[in-house]
Formats: sequence, C-alpha cells, structure tokens
Amino acid sequence: MSEASVELWVNGERVRAPVWGTEFLAEFLRERLGLVGTKVGCGVGVCGLCTVWMDGKLVSSCLVPAVVAAGRHVWTVEGLVALAEGRVADPPPGLPSGRLVRAVQQALVECEGLQCGICTPGQLWAACALLQEEPNPPEDQVREFLAGNLCRCTGYQGILRAVRAAAREGRCVGG
Amino acid sequence: MWAVEYLAPEHLGEVLEVLAGADPTETVVWAGGTALAPLLRRGLLEPRRLLGLERVGELAGLSVEDDGSLRIGAVVRLRELYGAELVRGRLPVLAWTARRIGNLRVQNMATVGGHLAHADPAQDLPPVLLALDAEVRLQSRRGTRALPLEEFLLGPMQTARAEDELLTEVRVPPRAFRWRTGYVRYAPRSAEDYPTVGVAASVEVDADGVCREARVAVAGAGPKALRVRAAEQVLVGGPLSADRCREAARRVEGEVDPWDDTRGSAAYKRAMARVWTERLLRQLAAAGS
Repeated sequence: MSEASVELWVNGERVRAPVWGTEFLAEFLRERLGLVGTKVGCGVGVCGLCTVWMDGKLVSSCLVPAVVAAGRHVWTVEGLVALAEGRVADPPPGLPSGRLVRAVQQALVECEGLQCGICTPGQLWAACALLQEEPNPPEDQVREFLAGNLCRCTGYQGILRAVRAAAREGRCVGG
Repeated sequence: MWAVEYLAPEHLGEVLEVLAGADPTETVVWAGGTALAPLLRRGLLEPRRLLGLERVGELAGLSVEDDGSLRIGAVVRLRELYGAELVRGRLPVLAWTARRIGNLRVQNMATVGGHLAHADPAQDLPPVLLALDAEVRLQSRRGTRALPLEEFLLGPMQTARAEDELLTEVRVPPRAFRWRTGYVRYAPRSAEDYPTVGVAASVEVDADGVCREARVAVAGAGPKALRVRAAEQVLVGGPLSADRCREAARRVEGEVDPWDDTRGSAAYKRAMARVWTERLLRQLAAAGS
C-alpha cells in the first residue's frame, strides 16, 4: 500500500489527486480531474476511446493504472485542442503542432469524419500521430494507424477521407 | 483510502530481491500492462503491489550476442521489435507478426517478455518464436536458466516460470536466420483480434531441393502454442512437394486439440489449422523456386 494520491503532469499542468485501489488513468482523468474528453469504452485497449499521449507515445489510458502514470507527462484531447487554439505556451517536444491538429480537425468536419463524436478524440490522436511521423502516408499506413479506433456510427470512409485531406492540407475530395 | 503500490526499480537485482520474498497474489510483475490491466479491471487479480520493469536497463534493448544469436530484452515493446533493423534484416517474419498484433497503442505498450509470460494459447508471437527455435532466459536470486520456448509454455496462462523468477530475455539462434520462415494468421472477425488459428513454419532447403530442417507450430488450436513434430518429419528428407505439404497439414489437423470459443468451433479450428498449414507450406516451397 502506498499513499493514496498521485501526482503527474496533465496537459502541461502539475496535478495531484487521490486514487483508490487499482484505479486506472482513464477514470482518474475523467472523475478526479473532470477531463471527460477521454472516454472509457471497451476497457481492454481495443476501441481507442481512451487514447492519451504519455511521455511521447499514444497509449490506452484504460490499461494504465493511475499509480503507473505518476510523475509522467500526459496529454488528453483537451490539451490537443488547446494546442490547436494556440493556448499552450511551451509544448513539450513530441506533441503534434497546433497547425497539424487544426488541419485534422478541419478535415474531419469537412469530410464528415464524425457523427456522434465518441471516437473522435482517439481518431484525432491517431491521425496526428500518423501525420507527424509521415506527412504523406500511403493508404496502408493510414489504415494501420487508424486501426483500433472503433467508430460506432460506421463512418470510416469519412474518417479516411479526412486523414487523406489533412495530409494534403487541402480540401476534401473524392468518394 | 489505499492504492495499489507501484515499484519501479532501476536494477534487475532489486527486482529479483522483491520477487524472492513476494507473495504472488499480492505482488504482480508489471511490464506493458496490456494483458494484466483487463484482469485487474475485472477484479480477477487484486494485487497490492505492481513491480514495474520499465526502468530496468538490463531488460531493455536488442543485440547480437557473441554466439551470433539475437537477444531480445524482456521489456522490448512490440513497436520497438518491429522497428528494429536487427529484426527486420534477420527475421522479417518476426517484424511482420509483431506489427499485426493489436493496434498501435497496444504495440506501444506491450512487451515481448510480457507477451510470452502471459501464455495465452492464441497469441501470435509464440508460434513464430517456436518456428525459430527461440529460447527464454529466466533469472532469480537462485540463478539463471535457459529454456527452449517449447518447454517454457505449459498450458493456458501457465508457464515454467517459478514464482521467484523473471523472464529476462528471448534468444533466437543464428541457424534460424538461414531458414525460410513464414506466419499466417486467420482472424475472421477483425484484423486486430487474436487469431482463430495462426500457423508458423520454417524450412531449410538444400541446393538439390531437399528439405533439411523444418519447424511447424500452431497457435489457437490447443492449450498452448504447439510445435507439431509429426508434420516436420513428413517434410524433412525430401522435396517440398504438394503431396508432402498436404500430408504435413493433415498431421497438424490430427495433432491439434482446440476447443470451442467465440473465435470458432473446435472442428472448424482443426480444419482451418490444416488449411492454413498447407497454404503456408506451399508458399514457403514456392518462395524457393
């Protein structure tokens, strides 16, 4: 047993909050910190709703015990939006640029890449991670990065169009 | 209020020290967490303490050892495994397979050692590593031992690891680099799912077209990833003809012992183990012509 609180960095701010038992990062972010952009879906790392950025890598926060995240730098979709809106003074290296996030957001809207929105935070993270690594990705790489982000509205074609469009930083084209 | 404790030592000696005195129901080794977290979330495990491995330098990295074998540290993540030149160059089948497990987030988290220690019979890496003659190293304060992977895997979620031991590395011997190795996985529901069956095979064929070495291993069709020697025996000593490939596949069908689950009925898995073995062997045969 340890002291029942955890301190970490979330969206650039140092936070400390109590944890209970084997509470996971996804629930910690939502219930302790009120950051409800991160959802809990499958709880086994399959669906992508709880995607966050932790120390440079995308992870499923439903699989990370809150105590394991202690001392780390975590960014949620709220932080990603802050980046897009230019509200982050000194973003840590490895995060996508605000310009990239804006391009993906805009493409998702223009290409009808979202409907109910529950998978959108995960899709946004996956698309940004892809385009950071490969600005002009081939189709199979687009699918590889988006795999494991389950859209409940079956809107995959729109999401794929959006990522291609964001890669071109252009308008949505094609079917 | 209480919270599970997270220990993250920097040295292997400290890990082994903790393991030596630990009650395994209270202290759980924590690597990537992708296999254990769902068990914690469902209350199937209720540890008091997680023994984290991520900061232990001795468990990290990939290297070629003096005897030419490829050493894969236990905490190498799947994404690191398939991204490594050492792996892509020598063992492309291993990179190909690791890249098809789960999704990008899982590949960022899951470790090779954790994957093997979890010992789910439907996992993808065990058959591939069996077909590459891999061995695992186990270490405790009592000493170090090497075990062929085949002897390490005992059954569903069961391994030869003693309670005070840690899986520290996996080794692939250099002879496996010469082999033609392939893996096919059949996942009818979704590409990210565990396979209904997965078949790995290696062959070494001499200049006269005679098969000199063969390994055949199957996942998802029994209590553990299974090496099928009866099929290997059919292949060795002759050409990889269509008849021999078919007969080896029949032997696989006869040896596997699957059960019914959401990925398919036992009868279906048995049939698919034959079908995919034959396809893979025909592919390997064609790759040399």
